[in-house]
Amino acid sequence: MANLLCDERDVKFVLYEQLNIEELCESEKYSEFSRETFDMVLDAAVKLAEKEIWPTNADGDQKGVILEQGAVKVPESFHNAYRLYCEGGWSLLAVPPDMGGQGFPSVLNCAAVELFSAANQAFMMYPGLTIGAARLIEKYGTEDQLREYMDRMYSGEWAGTMCLTEPQAGSDVGALRTKAVKNPDGTYKISGGKIFISAGDHDLTENIVHMVLARVEGAPPGTRGISIFIVPKKRVENGELVDNDVICAATEKKLGIHASATCALNFGEKDNCIGYLLGAENEGMRIMFNMMNEARLAVGIQGLAQASAAYMHALRYAKERVQGPEIHALKDPTAPKVPIIYHPDVRRMLMWMKCVTEGIRALIYYAGYCEDRIHAAKSEEEAAKYQGFLDILIPICKSWSSDMGFRVTELAIQVHGGYGYCREYPVEQFMRDSKICSIYEGTNGIQALDLVGRKLAVKQGALFKSIVAETGNLLKNASKNYRLKDIVEPFAQARSQLVEVTRYFGLKSITEDFMIPVLYASPYLELFGDLAVGFMLLWQAVIADRRLEEIYNDAKADTPEKKAEVLRTNRSAAFYRGKVASAQFFSNTFLSLSKGKARAIMSGERSAIDLPEESFALF
Amino acid sequence: MDIVVLVKQVPNTTEVRIDPKTGNLIREGVESIINPEDRHALEAALQIRDNTGGKVTVLSMGPPQAIDGICEALAMGADRGILLSDRIFAGADTWATSTTLGRAIRKIEQFDLVLAGRQAVDGDTAQIGPQVAEYLGIPQLTYVQKLEVREGAVIAERALEDGCEHIEAPTPVLVTVLSSLNEPRYPTVAGLIDSTRPRAPIEIWNGADLGVKAYEVGLAGSLTQVVKTFTPKGARNTQYLEGSPAAVAAQLIDALRKKEIRLGE
Ligand SMILES: Cc1cc2nc3c(=O)[nH]c(=O)nc-3n(C[C@H](O)[C@H](O)[C@H](O)COP(=O)(O)OP(=O)(O)OC[C@H]3O[C@@H](n4cnc5c(N)ncnc54)[C@H](O)[C@@H]3O)c2cc1C
Ligand SMILES: Cc1cc2nc3c(=O)[nH]c(=O)nc-3n(C[C@H](O)[C@H](O)[C@H](O)COP(=O)(O)OP(=O)(O)OC[C@H]3O[C@@H](n4cnc5c(N)ncnc54)[C@H](O)[C@@H]3O)c2cc1C
Repeated sequence: MANLLCDERDVKFVLYEQLNIEELCESEKYSEFSRETFDMVLDAAVKLAEKEIWPTNADGDQKGVILEQGAVKVPESFHNAYRLYCEGGWSLLAVPPDMGGQGFPSVLNCAAVELFSAANQAFMMYPGLTIGAARLIEKYGTEDQLREYMDRMYSGEWAGTMCLTEPQAGSDVGALRTKAVKNPDGTYKISGGKIFISAGDHDLTENIVHMVLARVEGAPPGTRGISIFIVPKKRVENGELVDNDVICAATEKKLGIHASATCALNFGEKDNCIGYLLGAENEGMRIMFNMMNEARLAVGIQGLAQASAAYMHALRYAKERVQGPEIHALKDPTAPKVPIIYHPDVRRMLMWMKCVTEGIRALIYYAGYCEDRIHAAKSEEEAAKYQGFLDILIPICKSWSSDMGFRVTELAIQVHGGYGYCREYPVEQFMRDSKICSIYEGTNGIQALDLVGRKLAVKQGALFKSIVAETGNLLKNASKNYRLKDIVEPFAQARSQLVEVTRYFGLKSITEDFMIPVLYASPYLELFGDLAVGFMLLWQAVIADRRLEEIYNDAKADTPEKKAEVLRTNRSAAFYRGKVASAQFFSNTFLSLSKGKARAIMSGERSAIDLPEESFALF
Repeated sequence: MDIVVLVKQVPNTTEVRIDPKTGNLIREGVESIINPEDRHALEAALQIRDNTGGKVTVLSMGPPQAIDGICEALAMGADRGILLSDRIFAGADTWATSTTLGRAIRKIEQFDLVLAGRQAVDGDTAQIGPQVAEYLGIPQLTYVQKLEVREGAVIAERALEDGCEHIEAPTPVLVTVLSSLNEPRYPTVAGLIDSTRPRAPIEIWNGADLGVKAYEVGLAGSLTQVVKTFTPKGARNTQYLEGSPAAVAAQLIDALRKKEIRLGE
């Protein structure tokens, strides 16, 4: 049976038919690879995800983590999965070869991580954060730091974390208070407390390398005075690991990702915590900024992964669960009962889940692909073009994916009825695990502000214009195909709505009414996301429609009956038909709303800001 | 110890669906995998090699696509892969297949142990292992669920219907294994890259390389004659017996006797 984590056929469609990633192999950087290598790696990833990681998912959810005498234990089942993951070299997939990695294109890494996260999001936090931390050291570390930390982290021997958040400094990172005092030997003494630190402590590895944002004594306030430090749980002294005074004071009890340890960490309680500066003093935010795209894309993948697993499970359930007769036979008590996939309302939910999941997948992989094109670019203009796409799409990849991905998981529960609400089925866990994605790595509200306040403004709107131009090209191409008319029209409309709202924002931001773009940043991001995902699905429909016609022609299927027969017996035909349907459904149910969504934004409705606090409710 | 492992690419039978109309297998879109029990044979070989040294060669006969299975075996840790591929090999029954594999093993020359899965999920004959052993004129141990190697010998536990059997055999020897023997390892990413590189240690041998004649192999060299293939009809002819328990029992015995079904003494 096909796996229940993701639709492999769709993954391959995006990689090979839409993005044509084999072309990447023509560039020097990826010349080692071939379609064959990609396929084998994907197949191997499916097996590991299904057979070893997925079985730890419910177990981790039920057992959670245990904090005993300052040490966190992860569920027993994670140890074997972690060992197999590291031994297989999966953490090294997208790490550059000169850093000891395999150097696969980022787009392929997206596909592999989607699978693993779908199998167990909480588990993937451990290797995921380790890679994130190691990447920082790779980019900004000294030779010694690379050798001492990075190598061991990439191999999975040591783990890593990102320590930004403090009680008073969540979205407002600039408010952090953790202190660093320079020692005569050039190291720093670290003191302070961090909260919500994922993988902050655990027993998967003997050491954990924390990347800690802190303020050097006398540094300016706000984000300009932040530096970043390597603070290992155990530091190396004379070739031995000694305790570095990092204490896990608590682990949070959470809605989801139970098996990911979310820790409160105290640094330097005994005045014996040493940190090693990464880069230069007060460069912390700039360094973090450079890693932001990658980290946010990673959260987008998590949103995608849970949606993907939820859709696949719901689809299977809908084919198996028998309930009620077909709608035509509603009044006949003797009519046979049918699987719920026969019911229009269930089909509507499944279709919604299908097109959203596929749209997110394409969008996320496309972002990964942009990264690869930047690396493989033949000219600076080419690199700049893809960098531009990536920069403007990242907040959408993060927010739209996590918001809509969450809704897919919620619908999966709905399809399961009462059973979906119960632990016996995995879908309620998907929903709980998925929720965190809209919160960490910059809340979705903060992402929307990044899009509206920063990305739209870059080079007088150049990023936005390039997206508009790109969608215009597709539109021109797709309009030639009359069969896609129903998809193209709502898409064209949504595109002009987005342009109009963006202009409206532009005008408002230079008048005294600049609060409007801030207030409507999130609805704007949603509108933008609708178009971005619509863009991906239309692009896919153009390809799928062509393939489907080829199959019909080959089979000489020129009547509806013959076509139906082809769809029944030819799996590729059935798949392509499903792709066109995804685009069509999305166009008519999402994009056709864009006019209303745009009007809601451009109403300039201000009650939310004008209302006195007292009037929200009487406390 | 130098080991040859026989592996076969088979359709993933857990994915094969049946066309409800024609009753035929829908093979389109079904992935190929290494025959599950062959994977266990390979794992056994890798473990022996890791402990005692030597070389593991995987040997497969099949169409050019079967190279995927060899790549995967290399990615798991095999040292060398050989694919026997030639038009004249096509349509082989177990006899012709064993002949071809046997010829190839003779050509490999240096081996102490030949390992294979008990049977392939697509053919289910369990004949290849034993026939290859006969061809080579070496002892065979089938249905092996535990395996130990000594200097110049192997000790195996064979699963029988009503128990198990411990057997020692001198090398060279052919062993077919059950899936209970071990847990196959996963291929590593680095291994997968290496195995798909142009300079990966994979050779493709054709009929000329083996020095076989077209009439010895493939369809022409096959002894099996397929008379007819059909799906058994599931239609039942139900007969209801009525009356007192004693009367029903008597009718039942008569009915069985009529069908010449022996009822014992
Ligand atoms: C399970 C989990 C794991 C985590 N892992 C890590 C980790 O590994 N490392 C780490 O450093 N942190 C981690 N975090 C912390 C996470 O990044 C923060 O929770 C997040 O940044 C939000 O901060 P906060 O919780 O303080 O919320 P707040 O900042 O208090 O935000 C509350 C609400 O106000 C909104 N808001 C706040 N400020 C603004 C503003 N200026 N404009 C508009 N809206 C605003 C937010 O969007 C949000 O809706 C984790 C959190 C959780 C729950
Ligand atoms: C916490 C909890 C408490 C409960 N308490 C009670 C209680 O006190 N008493 C009691 O009697 N029951 C109770 N229930 C049962 C609850 O009422 C049922 O779960 C609910 O009616 C749905 O039935 P189901 O779970 O069998 O889902 P199904 O009927 O199998 O529905 C599955 C999906 O198919 C859809 N579907 C089914 N048939 C059709 C159709 N004809 N057309 C369109 N869509 C269709 C549904 O909308 C749903 O999305 C409880 C359930 C839970 C989870």
